[in-house]
Amino acid sequence: MKWLRWRETRKARERELDEEIEADFALAIQQRLEAGATQEEAEFAARRDFGNVTRIKEVTRDMWGWVRLDGVLQDVRYSLRRLRKTPAFTITAIVTVALGIGATTSMFTLIYAILLKSLAVSNPRELYRLGKEARCCFWPAYSQANEFSLASYDLYTYFRDETKGFSELAAFQAGRPLLGVTRSARAERAQSYPGEFVSGNYFAMFGIRPYAGRMLKGNDDRSNAAPVAVMSYRMWKERYGSDPSVVGSTFDIDQKPFTVVGITPPGFFGDTLSNNPPDFFLPLSSEPSVETEDHLHDTHTAWLDLIGRLRPGANPTTVQAQMRLELKQWLRSHWGEMSANDRANFQNQTLYLQPGGSGISSMRTAYEHWLQILMMASGFVLLIVCANVANLMLLRGMERRRQMSLSMALGAHSLRLVRDALTESILLSLFGGAAGLAVAFAVTKLILHFTFPSPAGMAGVPISASPSFPVLLFAFGVSLITGIAFGIAPAWTATRIDPIEALRGAGRLTHRTGSLSRKVLVVLQAALSLVLLSASGLLTAALHKLEGQDLGFDQDRRILMRIDPSLAGYRLPQLTPLYKRVHEALSNIPGVSGVAQCMYSPMTSADWGEGVWVDGHPAAGPKDDNYANFERVTPGYLDVIGNPLLRGRDISEHDIQTSAHVAVVNEAFTRKFFKNEDPIGKHFGQDGIGSEREFEIVGIAKDTRYSSYNLNHPIGAFYLLPEAQFETDRKTGLPMNDQGAHVLGDVIIVTKPGASLRDAQILEAMGSVDRNLPILSVRTLTEQVADQFRQERLIARLTSLFGVLSLVLSCLGLYGITAYNAARRTGEIAIRMALGANRRTVVLLVLRGAFALISLGLIIGLPLTLAAGRFLSSHLYGMNPYSPIVVSIAIATLAISAFIASLIPALRSSFILPQEALRGE
Amino acid sequence: MARQNHYQDRIELMQGTLDMLILRTLQWGSQHGHGIGQAIRAKSEEALQVEHGSLYPALHRLEKRGWLKADWKPSEANRRAKYYRLTAAGKKQLIKEESNWNALVETIARVMKPV
Repeated sequence: MKWLRWRETRKARERELDEEIEADFALAIQQRLEAGATQEEAEFAARRDFGNVTRIKEVTRDMWGWVRLDGVLQDVRYSLRRLRKTPAFTITAIVTVALGIGATTSMFTLIYAILLKSLAVSNPRELYRLGKEARCCFWPAYSQANEFSLASYDLYTYFRDETKGFSELAAFQAGRPLLGVTRSARAERAQSYPGEFVSGNYFAMFGIRPYAGRMLKGNDDRSNAAPVAVMSYRMWKERYGSDPSVVGSTFDIDQKPFTVVGITPPGFFGDTLSNNPPDFFLPLSSEPSVETEDHLHDTHTAWLDLIGRLRPGANPTTVQAQMRLELKQWLRSHWGEMSANDRANFQNQTLYLQPGGSGISSMRTAYEHWLQILMMASGFVLLIVCANVANLMLLRGMERRRQMSLSMALGAHSLRLVRDALTESILLSLFGGAAGLAVAFAVTKLILHFTFPSPAGMAGVPISASPSFPVLLFAFGVSLITGIAFGIAPAWTATRIDPIEALRGAGRLTHRTGSLSRKVLVVLQAALSLVLLSASGLLTAALHKLEGQDLGFDQDRRILMRIDPSLAGYRLPQLTPLYKRVHEALSNIPGVSGVAQCMYSPMTSADWGEGVWVDGHPAAGPKDDNYANFERVTPGYLDVIGNPLLRGRDISEHDIQTSAHVAVVNEAFTRKFFKNEDPIGKHFGQDGIGSEREFEIVGIAKDTRYSSYNLNHPIGAFYLLPEAQFETDRKTGLPMNDQGAHVLGDVIIVTKPGASLRDAQILEAMGSVDRNLPILSVRTLTEQVADQFRQERLIARLTSLFGVLSLVLSCLGLYGITAYNAARRTGEIAIRMALGANRRTVVLLVLRGAFALISLGLIIGLPLTLAAGRFLSSHLYGMNPYSPIVVSIAIATLAISAFIASLIPALRSSFILPQEALRGE
Repeated sequence: MARQNHYQDRIELMQGTLDMLILRTLQWGSQHGHGIGQAIRAKSEEALQVEHGSLYPALHRLEKRGWLKADWKPSEANRRAKYYRLTAAGKKQLIKEESNWNALVETIARVMKPV
């Protein structure tokens, strides 16, 4: 109502102003008539006196004050009307902008979620964490390379009690164990869910309030406390249908009863952004009873991440300095337990306190560079989009020239025309931005699906594709900037329009305003496209190299099953018999030719390594690199995985605890530790000085890429140990009771050529071994290997997509300007043809113009391309970042596409009939 | 070039003085926009030429401030025109601007006076 009344008043006032000026105008004429002038003279004089009436009205309306909003609304209305009249242009522009903004926004969604976003906790700025690196699992407690990033429980309690700068200092497990969970007194099979052991003040430190029940408290984290657990919201909702009776009921977690006392709020995904956020939070004090090994009281193992909330006013630098002192004091007080190496490294031990508001975020380190690459690529696409739409707008400006010069002749201010042009472009970009949000949603969903697949039944990475407020803000901002960017050129041309043009004949433009800017835009597009095409070429070539490399083992006919004997309650003495039964049951399936088990099958993204001490060699010092990876396997492993044995023998069923302890090493191991010696028959150990006679080398295997880490580097030293042999504890002389090193979770099954094996057959065979043994997954080894390059593949595909998009847009731009120029030169071409030029000459004439632009673009793009190669070099797995082949192919692709794009208008020009074209003049 | 010569024998209006001139012109009774322009021109013996592009915005500005009030009345040209007249506030404003002006003229004259 108010709005209507306002509009009515406004209309009335405008009518009034018109009337006022008309009346005064009439008076001016009247006066002159009375002074004796003729009607014609009087009118002419009055008109000259009044000048530009439209302009007078406009500046007068400005005085009314509300003109600003009104003017904007009017501009919007006019722009919408104009856009509606040219649907083809409007739709093309909106779709183009949507692609550019969609690509950029989608990248921003990921960057925001992975790199910028804080944890959903209260005042994340007050949080500080120990360490710069995100480390996993278990580290030595008394010396850590570069920095102390993980702490043993003993060190944690020391820091917690001594550091007064923290109001709360919490600790939580760096690894993420799978826990076998059943609701007590329900007949359900144990399922494995990720869990986390956290200190009692964990939730208090984060400031997390329970969604239901209560969170863990300090006195839950005592050795004699009743065992309690907190369940994730996701678990409660998806697995238990938000059943309120869950809170307070008992769950068997790894066969120990725990009372679930509360549910976390929906937005809380723990302390670390990962694709398996914990579903159960258990107090640290319960760790010894749940896990097979007691890390809580193990002073030699650092396994806890620390995050603390600073007291108001506490200075993080001061706290860091204090903690460094505390670390040294603590180390000194444990001098007796430290090894010689630990003592030698004592001086170098330090720690860093880092902002911890976004958690531990190993994903940040893993994806930061990739996201930067993708953000840049999408930014380039957006630039090309801007150039393209600017080109369209300029072309439209040309068509609207007559109308604009007419408006100016009728008294429109040139600033008003600029405002018009800008309004139009900003409207287009905002529509494009809105459509781009839809594109971004789809692209982000796709990327999340491919990059971070959630393991079956687990939560998956807590990143949402739906736009959050910052993402919306980003898209809006980018749209606005885009609109201004591609609107400036047309707006600028609008200011240079001469009203006199309106009076000239149609199509007779005296100067080529805007032609230069259009050419510049095409050159820019060509340059950017070259960069994107080369970058995508490099990444794709690197991916092919990565996928095509000889890993050294056979992937064909290999099926991989993952099991977890610990969850079913298997303990050390039962493991070897279990593996035998599994081997037997699977071998009996028709079509199976081999079965072996290991800790981590090839390309699992997990491995285990130790320092190696060779018998008869000087002991490795603290600075020496004596590291080697190892794998514990059942007999026949090399054969099953297809890793050729070069000399000696494979691990066999005769290697039992009571026989000589043996190892099979790879070539890299030989090169690293036995430069001029024959390693067969030599001994080494992995438990420091004194363990050198532990293993006898009985075979040498060909180098094989087992680890998915360091794909950039040569294959490292590696050795295989038989599962049935336990290392000897040097102090007691008894076999070491290390369950973790003997749980072989990966079963590899080889099928006979041509035989096919159904999952059901495998499950049935496993059922005959133990119905309760959890089977985590069954898939082919090929799938597992392909999974390792998932990230690289996605990046290569996305960059290629961006490259193709930019190529198409650039060609459209080139086509547009060539066609436009050719059309403008119709007269000239007709005259040339009338004077005897043939069609070939005409085609060449048009093509020459187009190619001059493309060549210039290529010349400018080349150094940019080399710079891009340099930027990518660390991700090319040894590919030459300036690969002449890739760059040449990119140039050729661009040139051929440009040729086709400009050939069409060139051919069209050559079909001009001179007599008809000239008749139109 | 021709335009510049045309203006040479005219005096440029100082910033802010147009409002005062309008108020002053209306002291003698109500007048329409064109009449105000003519009156200023006549009074200044053709030396001051008020552009319509400045006049109408000024009138609307003064009206908005409450110093002028407008009525529609029949004019000499056989149709109604918009006549402006001073309000009480406008009269006060005129006195204020006049004394300001006089002070300004005196001050400037003092500075410019040969020593």
